[in-house]
Amino acid sequence: MACERTATLVADYLDEALPLHQRHALDHHTQQCPDCALALQDARQTHAHLLRWQHQAVPQWRRPALPKQEVQRPPLRWAWWQWAPLAASCMLALAVVLNVQISTGSQGLAIRFGAASTLDTAQLEARLAAFETQQQAALQTLSQALMQQQSADNARLMEAMVDSVIEQVGASTALSLEQVIAYFESQRQQDLQLLQAGYQQLADSDYATIRSVEQLAMLVQGGQP
Amino acid sequence: MSLGEQDDALIRAALDGSARAWDQLVRRYETQVYNFSLRLAGNQTDALDLMQEVFLGVYRNLHRFRGDAQFSTWLFRIAHNKAIDMGRRRPLSTSLETILEEAGDQVEARWQQLDDVPDQNPLAVLDEHQRNARIMSLMGALSPEQRLVVELKVFQSLTFEEIAELQDISANTAKTRFYTALRRLKALMEQDHGM
Repeated sequence: MACERTATLVADYLDEALPLHQRHALDHHTQQCPDCALALQDARQTHAHLLRWQHQAVPQWRRPALPKQEVQRPPLRWAWWQWAPLAASCMLALAVVLNVQISTGSQGLAIRFGAASTLDTAQLEARLAAFETQQQAALQTLSQALMQQQSADNARLMEAMVDSVIEQVGASTALSLEQVIAYFESQRQQDLQLLQAGYQQLADSDYATIRSVEQLAMLVQGGQP
Repeated sequence: MSLGEQDDALIRAALDGSARAWDQLVRRYETQVYNFSLRLAGNQTDALDLMQEVFLGVYRNLHRFRGDAQFSTWLFRIAHNKAIDMGRRRPLSTSLETILEEAGDQVEARWQQLDDVPDQNPLAVLDEHQRNARIMSLMGALSPEQRLVVELKVFQSLTFEEIAELQDISANTAKTRFYTALRRLKALMEQDHGM
């Protein structure tokens, strides 16, 4: 093969897709180049010989079955309306949990959350006022009882002290005035402690009263009668 | 409906699980694939094995077929790759004696079928099989690369650009390989006094 164009020329010539103007150019070259002309003639013969192939019938064979598990289907797509029942169920459950109440009245549609209160503001104030009066009366009674008890205790105490002093003075004339003063002082200290305990009891009672009022207010605000 | 549209409809039905559509698709192309396989494998047994692998590869990848090219082009791309894989795994049976012996068996089988087709000329059948056997023998004398280029150019009518893309080579390399194969075939034909 003397001509360096022979390989591509023969290949192009046997290419059915070769444009006509290029085929004319190849024809022109082969007229000038005996090497390419001879190579092209041999290639055409060989090509024609190969094309004498006759299609042979397919013998019996096991055609591959279509395995369903290997066919890949596109992923399922949910339409919006397929989510509607689930969304409705969620909304209903939420309404039940939040105790939603929808009502219509003179002011139009009203939506309320939580239990409806059965008391209005005036009723609440009246109840609180009555409760306050009741508590004040109870406090006054308790205070009077404490004062009466204190007075009685003081009187008994003074009487006992006088009796005790008379006995002691009577029994020993050698008892000095300083001892009498010390005795009175100790009795006074005991009185003070008793008085302090009484006031502490009164203060505790007041604190319990305040707690009762707070609990009542919370119950009323929570809708409990 | 055109051939391509029919292919597309069969592919869609097969992807939806229709065994009948898949069977029709296989029957539509099995003759082309079998003859392709026979020319490359050189004997019926290997050709059937290759054909089986080609169609297995087709249905495994059917969901990837996008319809950008014709289904037949896509199918023969798979067939080309399977033929290369098979050529690497086992040497082809290319001796003329083996091929002629196998062709003789096939002719005998055809003659037995000809009892039902009286118009068929038994000598024509014999001639057809002997001619095919010689072509298979010639193809078998080529290297696997040359054989594939000849198959794709002569029998599948691909352009050199398409062959180059398939084999990952340049178009000029494909042309040179094709010309070299034709020269080799010409030399073998001249040695074969029977043609």
